[in-house]
Order: sequence, then C-alpha cells, then structure tokens
Amino acid sequence: EGNEALFASCFNYTSCIAVGKSLNSRNFSKLLHSCPYQCDRHKVIVEAEDRYKSELRKSLICNKKILLTPRRRRQLSSES
Amino acid sequence: MFQGQRGWFCRSVGGELRQFWVAEGGSISDPRAADFLFSCDASHPDTLRIYQSLDYIEDNATVFHAYYLSAVANAEVKNSVALGHFILPPACLQKEIRRKLGNFIWEQDQHFQIEKHDEV
Ligand SMILES: [Zn+2]
Repeated sequence: EGNEALFASCFNYTSCIAVGKSLNSRNFSKLLHSCPYQCDRHKVIVEAEDRYKSELRKSLICNKKILLTPRRRRQLSSES
Repeated sequence: MFQGQRGWFCRSVGGELRQFWVAEGGSISDPRAADFLFSCDASHPDTLRIYQSLDYIEDNATVFHAYYLSAVANAEVKNSVALGHFILPPACLQKEIRRKLGNFIWEQDQHFQIEKHDEV
C-alpha cells in the first residue's frame, strides 16, 4: 500500500529527533507540530485536531467570561 | 519494551491489550500521570474527557488507538511499529479525515488480534 510512502517523510524526522527520547502521548503532538516534513496524512489529522482544539479553547474562554463578569455574578446571586 | 512507562486505558480497551502492556513492563496509571493514553473508541466517555482536557487543548495529550499494542505484539521487531500511525482523533473529526485519507490504519486490517496462545 502507498501508506508507507505517505508516512515516510515525517516519520524519518520524528524518529530522528526522538532518538534517546521515545515518542509518547505527552510529546507527540508538539513534535508533530514542529515537524518540517509533515506527511499528507499527519497534515490532515493535525489540521483537523487543531481546529477542534481552537473551538474548545474559545468555548472555555466564553464560559470563564460568563462566570467572571461581575454583573452576571450579581445576577446569579440574586436569582438564588 | 514498555519498562518504566505509565499507561492509561479507556474502558473501551480490551483486557488482553492491557495485559500485554503490563507483561511488557508497563504500569497502569490515571490519565494525568500517564505517558501513554490508549483507547479503542473515541466517543467513549472516558476518552471524551481526555479530548476536553486542558492537556489535550495545549498539545500535551495525544490519544493512541490501543491496536498499536496488538501491532507491537504481532511485529517481528517490536519497536519497528510506528506509534504515529495510531493517532486516535476525536470522533467528530474522523468522518472528514476518512473522506480525505481513507480508512484509519486500525480499520484497514483484521490482523489486530493478539494471537491467543492456548494455555495448557
Ligand atoms: Zn506523518
């Protein structure tokens, strides 16, 4: 299958920088982001995940704002 | 192979893969302390919690499909299996990724079963 070829470029890179330090769930994403030779497959996955993460980040900030706005807080306490 | 590594397992992962991890020297831990996060189902509540965590948002948590472990178990050279093939993205992204790239590696083969050695 052509999959191996698709993977090759960025795997050569990540396995290169991972010498002496093995890949795991903690370092993989940052390594992939810093990879200058991202293969097509990883590019698509990274882009999709980044989009998901930025939406999540936005909604987290939103929630925080709602909780922290003084007027909102007053409203909440008077409602209860 | 996994000596000194801590692994977290979603409840969607079968017992035999966990056992393989432990047999290869890995230990089981909670998600915050784990070096490896394994799941077989991106929409399982355990795994959803990872996708919604700050660690994940800040690029400090990649979930891998636990079939990585069966690929390792079945490989002739254990550390020749590329972990990066086994990224498990959130379920809501999988359809789009599949449309662009075809099936995920864990969907392509049926050989991700750890061969059961008959116990005597
Ligand atoms: Zn790649």
